[in-house]
Amino acid sequence: MLLLDNVSYRYPASANAALDGVSMRAERGSVLGLLGPNGAGKTTLISHLSGALAVQGGQIRVDGEALQAVRARSPTRIAVAPQEYAFYPMLTVAENLACFAAAGGLAGAHKRQRIDACLAFAQLQDFAGVRAERLSGGLKRRLNLAIAVLPEPELLLFDEPTVGVDAQSRAFVLDAIKALAVNGAAVIYASHYMEEIEAIADRVVILDQGRVMRDGPLDALLAEGAQLLTLRADGVDAAALARFGDVTRGADHWRVRLAADHKPVEVLAALDAAGVTVRQAEFGRASLEQLFMALTDRSLRDH
Amino acid sequence: MFIALVRKELLALSRDLHGLAALFVMPAIFIVVMSLALQNYYSPSLAPMRYAIDARDTDAPARLIVAAWQRAHGPAVPLPADWQAELKSGRLNYVITLAPGLSDVLDAPSLPTEPRIELRSEPGIDGHLFNSLRAELVGVAGEVKGQLAFVQSGAPSPPPHASIAALVKAERFAGGGPRPTAVQQNVPAWLVFGMFFVVASLSSLFLQERASGTLARLRSLGVSPLMLLASKALPYLGVNALQAALMLAVGVWVMPLLGSAGLALAGIHWGALALVLLAIGLAAVSLALVLASAVRTHGQATTIGPILNVLMAAVGGIMVPKFVMPALMQRVAEWSPMNWGLEALLTVLLRGGGVAATLPEVGRLVAFALAMFVLAALWIRKPA
Repeated sequence: MLLLDNVSYRYPASANAALDGVSMRAERGSVLGLLGPNGAGKTTLISHLSGALAVQGGQIRVDGEALQAVRARSPTRIAVAPQEYAFYPMLTVAENLACFAAAGGLAGAHKRQRIDACLAFAQLQDFAGVRAERLSGGLKRRLNLAIAVLPEPELLLFDEPTVGVDAQSRAFVLDAIKALAVNGAAVIYASHYMEEIEAIADRVVILDQGRVMRDGPLDALLAEGAQLLTLRADGVDAAALARFGDVTRGADHWRVRLAADHKPVEVLAALDAAGVTVRQAEFGRASLEQLFMALTDRSLRDH
Repeated sequence: MFIALVRKELLALSRDLHGLAALFVMPAIFIVVMSLALQNYYSPSLAPMRYAIDARDTDAPARLIVAAWQRAHGPAVPLPADWQAELKSGRLNYVITLAPGLSDVLDAPSLPTEPRIELRSEPGIDGHLFNSLRAELVGVAGEVKGQLAFVQSGAPSPPPHASIAALVKAERFAGGGPRPTAVQQNVPAWLVFGMFFVVASLSSLFLQERASGTLARLRSLGVSPLMLLASKALPYLGVNALQAALMLAVGVWVMPLLGSAGLALAGIHWGALALVLLAIGLAAVSLALVLASAVRTHGQATTIGPILNVLMAAVGGIMVPKFVMPALMQRVAEWSPMNWGLEALLTVLLRGGGVAATLPEVGRLVAFALAMFVLAALWIRKPA
């Protein structure tokens, strides 16, 4: 449904590109996880989709048509749920929904029906008359979510939708977003919480410093890490390890991406024979966190 | 869509008690306080001033001066031994010294060449008042000298109520319109000031919307910048109308209860008043939209808006009447939108003017409003 083709963007007076040849696609009925630390380019990407920034280089197309034309004709086909509580704290939940429903062009019985449906979707019926500023963090997140789905958009982009909520509300929000994709919407879920992306995404794009580092089905990305052996040991001879695969050195560790015909036990045996004491070794299905670290040598949470 | 956005604005405003107080209570208090404080400014009374006479000449002509002065200003207090200190500290407002030889000068058939009457006032006396006292002394001395000349020439005695002052009649001409009073001057001035204070209230919610991403969300839903601006302008034009009604009501009904003259609206051109108020509202709201679109932090909004208002008020004749300013400042005042609003209101409320008489100022206000609205529309498109 959504296609980004070689999209680049540089802010005025900025030396580096915020987006540098980004290509990706989001399809109906699936969740695209957009993973990246702060400064990776997520906000710039979101600003493009919300219409706040014009495309400088490359193209963004929705069902084959330029995004700008789609937004001009029917802006509510694409909804962006920002990271902030983007509603009016002094208005009640129902007043907020009524305001944004009207802003999205809904009117009459359909408007009332959508407000009721979204109250139910976010389980906010009991709080309809409560001013938004008096809601808990979790309920505010649910109101943010309810407003996003009011005009029944075909493509939804959620930016860190679970920041500052308890585990129960987080699970609720994730389930609700997953349900949107199951019901046919295309969903982009931007986050730096790897567990959430792993829990919800069908496909993952890892973004760093404006560039796409990896783009693929979640399972494939996780399997990619399966051949990764991480070692913490002193006195390692990199040249001796190189015969087992690609070797990279981190701040306090070594990583060996094993070639197809080698097993980790061979590496450990070789190190043992060389008199190296291995303090820690990790191998197996990698998490997105490990994959990201392997790609950038940085932790997502550090940013 | 437009109605929902206007409704949102009104709901937000109605739930902001501090904002409402700034919009309605502050200008009302200003009108009451300033009208009471300045109620004698346009018709100053000299009677309550505390003065003494140092009569070093006690002959009959000098005594005539003392009698004439006391008729107009009430009895003098006895001259204190340390009158210089009393004067310096302000406990005495002024002292008139009748120097030896005054009577001879008054009697002589020629004009004086040296001072024989000295007026000394406290340091803080108002300049106009000081000049008025001096002019009055000159008048009294001239009248006494005239009387003595009539006696010497054998002319018949004038009637008891006759005086040089009776020769002159002075009034502020209002063409049959309301009498100029402090209330009549202050209500328009502080009404204009209050109407421009929508800046603080309007920009407060605007910034909140921008910071929380709500503005971006509305834009992404397809709400155009013009729709956003118009949906903010309309409620605040309503606020301006309510402010005007409240301020005029305070002038008409509250001020008399406080012992001041009330605002007189009889005989004014109501259509012209409505037109002027609308033009002021358009200018004030458009300026507020520009500031709200331009500023990026609450700190900027809470300082720039009020500072600009106070500057426009100071320059525009709200705080200091334009006619007391020097020529250069009067020309500067003509660049303040508050001055255009004030002059247009004074044209209606003081000078009995109709629609045509207000058109020059109304035209400037509307042109200013249009320019500001266009600027706001350009600015609001900029990303935060």
